[in-house]
Amino acid sequence: MDERPIAPALKVLAALMFLFLLAPLVVVVPISFSGDRYMTFPPSSWSTQWYGAIFADGRMVGAFWTSLALAAVVTTLSLAIGLPAAYALVRLKPRGAELLGSLFTAALLLPTIVLGLAILIVFARFGLLATFPGLVAAHLVVTLPYALRVLSTALSTLPIAVEEAAATLGAPPLTVFRRVTLPMMRSGLIGTAALCFLVSFDEVVLSLFMTGPRIATLPVAMYHRVEQQADPLVAALSVLLVVLTLAVVLVVDRSAGLAKTFVK
Amino acid sequence: MSAATSVLPAAAAPARRGPGLPLVALLILPIAAVNALGFLAPVLNLLRMSFYEAQATGAMAEVYTLATWATVFGDGFYLALILNSVGVSLAITLLTLACSYPIALYLHRASGTWRTLLLVLVISPLLTSAVVRTYGWIAILADQGLVNNALAAIGLSRTRLMFNLTGVIIGLTEILMPYMILALLAGFGRLDPRLEEAAATLGAPPCAVFRRVVLPLTLPGIALGSLLCFVLAVSSFITPKLLGGGRVFLLATEIYDQAIVTLNWPLAATLSILVLVVFGAALVLYTRALRAML
Amino acid sequence: MTAGTGYLSLSGLTKRYGEFAAVDGLDLDVPRGELVAFLGPSGCGKTTSLRMIAGLVPATAGRIVVGGRELTEVPTHRRDMGLVFQSYALFPHMSVAKNVAFGLEMRRVSRGEIAARVREAIALVHLTGKEEHRPGQLSGGQQQRVALARALVIRPSILLLDEPLSNLDAKLRDEMRNEIRDIQRRLGITAIFVTHDQGEALTMCDKVAVMNAGRLEQTGTPVELYEHPRTAFVAGFVGRTNRLKAVARDGALELAGQRLAAPSGISGTVEVMIRPHRVALAADAAVVAPGHHGVAGTVARATFAGDILQYDVDVAGQIVSVEAATRGGERVLEPGRAVMLSWRPQDLFVYASAR
Repeated sequence: MDERPIAPALKVLAALMFLFLLAPLVVVVPISFSGDRYMTFPPSSWSTQWYGAIFADGRMVGAFWTSLALAAVVTTLSLAIGLPAAYALVRLKPRGAELLGSLFTAALLLPTIVLGLAILIVFARFGLLATFPGLVAAHLVVTLPYALRVLSTALSTLPIAVEEAAATLGAPPLTVFRRVTLPMMRSGLIGTAALCFLVSFDEVVLSLFMTGPRIATLPVAMYHRVEQQADPLVAALSVLLVVLTLAVVLVVDRSAGLAKTFVK
Repeated sequence: MSAATSVLPAAAAPARRGPGLPLVALLILPIAAVNALGFLAPVLNLLRMSFYEAQATGAMAEVYTLATWATVFGDGFYLALILNSVGVSLAITLLTLACSYPIALYLHRASGTWRTLLLVLVISPLLTSAVVRTYGWIAILADQGLVNNALAAIGLSRTRLMFNLTGVIIGLTEILMPYMILALLAGFGRLDPRLEEAAATLGAPPCAVFRRVVLPLTLPGIALGSLLCFVLAVSSFITPKLLGGGRVFLLATEIYDQAIVTLNWPLAATLSILVLVVFGAALVLYTRALRAML
Repeated sequence: MTAGTGYLSLSGLTKRYGEFAAVDGLDLDVPRGELVAFLGPSGCGKTTSLRMIAGLVPATAGRIVVGGRELTEVPTHRRDMGLVFQSYALFPHMSVAKNVAFGLEMRRVSRGEIAARVREAIALVHLTGKEEHRPGQLSGGQQQRVALARALVIRPSILLLDEPLSNLDAKLRDEMRNEIRDIQRRLGITAIFVTHDQGEALTMCDKVAVMNAGRLEQTGTPVELYEHPRTAFVAGFVGRTNRLKAVARDGALELAGQRLAAPSGISGTVEVMIRPHRVALAADAAVVAPGHHGVAGTVARATFAGDILQYDVDVAGQIVSVEAATRGGERVLEPGRAVMLSWRPQDLFVYASAR
């Protein structure tokens, strides 16, 4: 590997653009420790009052638990529904497997605003709006394509000879799947779970169409809060969310390798 | 056709085979149900909805009519809205490209741990909610925000950077940068540093090397990134809503308002279909451009 | 087709993919305790045949019988075969001991017996002490041994080996070759060995089945195949050989303007083959032993390679390669020098030209 010097002008330009790219995430940190009542930058005094305020805010806490429960249910269902589908399409290779694969991932091609509206209209008729099951169903529409894609890739890169070896040693098909295929897909499963969890937990657009006064997810509650008053509470909350995201990413990286899961 | 069963040429299905079709059907039934009820049916219904008539009460007459379409095309407001959205999205795409290109080029040339670290920095905003990032921009652009306080500190007058188009463009540009950078990087595969060295040995000064060698080779990546960002810009509405403060009218924000505030679903449906039409046009342009390049 | 007499008996075994026949009507009987090689170039159908025996590929037609038990429709996991894969196919998430124990667990063998048999199998392949290692921590040769132990520990009715040596370096390959052969003999297990390497097939196996384009060309002992190849393909594939064109007429063979005695029943353009080291080369035109074939030519190229001296001899426009072991003191003949080639008539194989 031979090193080639990078032109100084490019370095400076790239550094400036990186600054621009990261500015909104970086600026949130000092504001979250603001001692002011309103958002100003730089803050005139410092405190941790806004972190305390989050936990005192019943709506935010409620929305957090809603989002957490929602993401957990959506992740579990995505794996439970996505894994059999991936297995069927990759391993049993029915006629038209590719067509079915594109159909099942087509929802990702649609802008979420259009998808959100389309789901709103249909779900309204069935009384699913502003209900937990309705939110689960709407999130599944976007998480399942991711799950199917990552799990299919994980399955198709497994060396099939290892499963055949298990069969020759006397393992019936279901045992092969349980004792050999699943353990070998470990990193793919973790990556899928993390991806579905983050997508569901961060999802705003669909949720905005689906929530109402009775139920709100955390991103929706934050959206409405910012819309009314952009106070430092949202900054404190943002910092906590970034930390949570980092934690999920680190867990995935530890057990599966970040590069393998997200770049490819 | 992936890592298939064996050594053999992939060919027609084997004569004798195990569990077969019923098992496949059983395994894909759940995903097919979600797909049908959460995607296919709603989208088809959306098409139908655009031919319904909206009534002042918010109710709809289940009568097929072209009234909504006539409104959209007859009303100067909606035509201006469409043109405005397309124009703003194009501007954002160009800005995103200009800001992302140096980073992508740098990442392409960097190596080792440093590169991995920077790549993670590029990807990490993708994993953070658009609400959080938009909030960050509010902190920077607000009247009491970073930029205005800095301007005041050095004795310059404050300027309005938010609740107008400027704020929306700045915010969306930054939010779309990670997509553009990743698309550019994917397209930089053909860019071999030895080509640049060859051009230099042939007597080309640095700017000529860039213009005659680097830029043409990276055009496919540019096209892909631009398509992606344009499509995302047209359909994004969290950032325009929050940074535009209700004063910036774009297709996506209008769809949301019609759907949630005004409850005119036929109009919202019609505008959604127009968004898809704009997408289609962008895709056609992209494939044309790509063919012209190769 | 009736089931044959062997312990493993294949009759009319066929695998078709659409129009393409990967294996076409394979008949073979393997007696108990023999090691039989499936030898052929890649794509000849040898691996597909093996996979049909293991039940990993369903047969389009034909029957597979082992020890009198019809297996054709039996799923893989009930066939009781030990298969050693080319890629070893070890379970990456299990230790060596767990890998070896897997087949016994599937057979619901008692815990105590599993432990004892695993220990024994691991000792058999000289891996004692590596029980708790993961496959990823082992070298290629060690992984190969684990794969062998895993296949043997279940005491399979048949041991199937799919190019087991092709991923090893040359030195290790020789070592494993002898080891596999020793173990197979000691256990008296019936085994099929798929390979594209004729050296492996000839040195290791009791019998060799040469396959080409989905069909069985010839089955026999290594000596039979080498000395009496029934088809031009076998003569060319097993051992090295010169391929020459000749014309057969009236029970005689015209080669390079000379008439040689030839087997009757063939006429027209034929292909003749002779092994390089069965040709004697003399600088003196008179030296042709009685009853031998003699043909004149000129040296086109001489190569001294240490233990052998190799000549390419131009015989009326066709090149014949000749080899002789060096004994010291030979003079290397110059190109252009006239020479006389001779050989025993039974060393010349004559085949109707492929047309």
